[in-house]
Amino acid sequence: MKKKFISLTTCLILATTLLIGCGDKTTSTNEGGEKNTQYTIGISQFAEHSSLDNCREGFIAGLADAGIVEGENLKTMYDNSQASMDQASLIANNFVQKKVDLICGIATPSAMTAYNACRETDIPVVYTAVSDPEAAGLTKGNVTGSSDVLPVKEQLAMIHKILPNAKKIGIIYTSSEENSLSTIKKYKELAGEYGFEIVEKGITTASEVGIAASDLVSKVDCISNLTDNTVVSALQTVISAANEQKIPVFGSEIEQVKDGCLAAMGIDYFALGKETGALAAKILKGEKTAAELPFITSEAAEFYVNTGVAEKLGITLDPSYLPQAKESFGN
Amino acid sequence: MILLRSVLEQGMIYAIMALGVYITYKILDFPDLTVDGSFPLGAALTALMIRGGVNPLLTMPACFLVGGVAGMLTGLIHVKLKVRDLLSGIIMMTALYTVNLQIAGRANLPFYDNNTVFDNAFVSSIFTGVLYPYRTLVISFLLMLVVKCLLDGYLSTKSGFLLRAVGDNDSIVTSLGLDKGTVKIIGLSIANALVALSGCIFAQQQHFFDISMGTGTVVIGLASVIIGTGLFAKVTLFRITTSVVIGAVLYKACVAIAISYVEPVNLKLITAALFLLILVLGMERKKKVKQSA
Repeated sequence: MKKKFISLTTCLILATTLLIGCGDKTTSTNEGGEKNTQYTIGISQFAEHSSLDNCREGFIAGLADAGIVEGENLKTMYDNSQASMDQASLIANNFVQKKVDLICGIATPSAMTAYNACRETDIPVVYTAVSDPEAAGLTKGNVTGSSDVLPVKEQLAMIHKILPNAKKIGIIYTSSEENSLSTIKKYKELAGEYGFEIVEKGITTASEVGIAASDLVSKVDCISNLTDNTVVSALQTVISAANEQKIPVFGSEIEQVKDGCLAAMGIDYFALGKETGALAAKILKGEKTAAELPFITSEAAEFYVNTGVAEKLGITLDPSYLPQAKESFGN
Repeated sequence: MILLRSVLEQGMIYAIMALGVYITYKILDFPDLTVDGSFPLGAALTALMIRGGVNPLLTMPACFLVGGVAGMLTGLIHVKLKVRDLLSGIIMMTALYTVNLQIAGRANLPFYDNNTVFDNAFVSSIFTGVLYPYRTLVISFLLMLVVKCLLDGYLSTKSGFLLRAVGDNDSIVTSLGLDKGTVKIIGLSIANALVALSGCIFAQQQHFFDISMGTGTVVIGLASVIIGTGLFAKVTLFRITTSVVIGAVLYKACVAIAISYVEPVNLKLITAALFLLILVLGMERKKKVKQSA
């Protein structure tokens, strides 16, 4: 009797949710016109981090360019798991419960938990700021997005141009961050071409950044910084240790140059997010499914420079090089 | 429903970890930080084994054993090398970070397409139709139940009584002519074996291992134990282990409520406020019981 009751109620609940779900879809197709369709998306971001924030803002801008504007025909729900894995998984499930039309996962752990939560639903997942989608298993299924591989070759060429006499480049990275490990591999492969030697220092927590930096600055001619989340969060420590020795720190994206890196050949995370938003718009409008769209890699490397830092360090920048900068900062 | 289901799923899985923390924190009075390392240890080993094509059922005893060894090492460092309890946990936790990276070979290891204890032909044949989405919940509940019953059983054996005696009044153990150090090592082994088992099941539910999976595990475990034992301190209906399980589910529920109703920046504050609320509610209950007694 009890069993019957339980199974009956679950059936009823499931049936009603199914009915409501179907109802939504029919009304939207009946209305036909794109502008009347209301979209709801969930954005799950892994940590508080300026690059990831730029990605998110770019994503919303990309959707807006495609006519899916927040507040008009788009409702976004944003949650940040504050670097906790079990929280990321709950956030993804919360979005599934709220029957969003699409989930956007920013950074690898959020992308993976979102994909896992959606595997038994028809909710597509679009990710961004995932360095190696192949290794993360995000290339099959109802999922697509964009990868933020750093333009290492361009970065090395830029360092060579600014510091022609430099021999050793120091890099601090977190041994737990897959993206850093793969980038360092690339650095080592390409360093020889420019006559550079890479000196790496692995750390495990943000508190070790200071020790690694002060050790590194005595051994190298400059430091190149990756998008390593832990190191970026303690970037000021690296910069002040390096600047004491009059050694420049090169960044990997705009925010780092703003914060005191000398220069960077980096990804524009806003642009990356925007491209991802365009992908998501195609999926929402039903032009393509996420499974049909391959993930995209940001191709364009942008040059950012901080002339204020150059002055402070006594480094003269080739005046013909400066106008190539997408943005330059003076402080 | 989906959020409730995932709260219960995660609650069941983390309850196994919380039972381990219960042994060290409540029974042995040993603040064991090894947990932050042994939880991902189970996850790493599971990812490696499952990707290698091992039967997912075998991952559980394997993780239990390996977690036990980690706990035993913490115990040996504490008892034999006379390192303070907090520090010996920190040492093991730190060492396990590298061990976990070495086991997995990478910081992040997915296994979306492999069989797990929740996704295999046998499970799909039992859970058909509308029951299918509930398989993870049912299986994790059963696993938790088995672990809880075995632990209850163990705690009422002679060895289990000794374990409880070491925490309450260790001179009894010494007066019985037994070595309290050995008892501590056994307790730590069992605790970390449970934690690694929990990490193993969590990885299978999430279909991947990530090195940062362990961060904050000990906090979740302690909060679950304290919420559970605080809330049901005077309710004799439950065994303490049952209260710990309920505590783990309540912890996850607090986080889920905060996630679904609160702005992301305020998340942790609201979660903290909810814990406090639960604890205060638990205290009032205690008072009432006292007055009526």
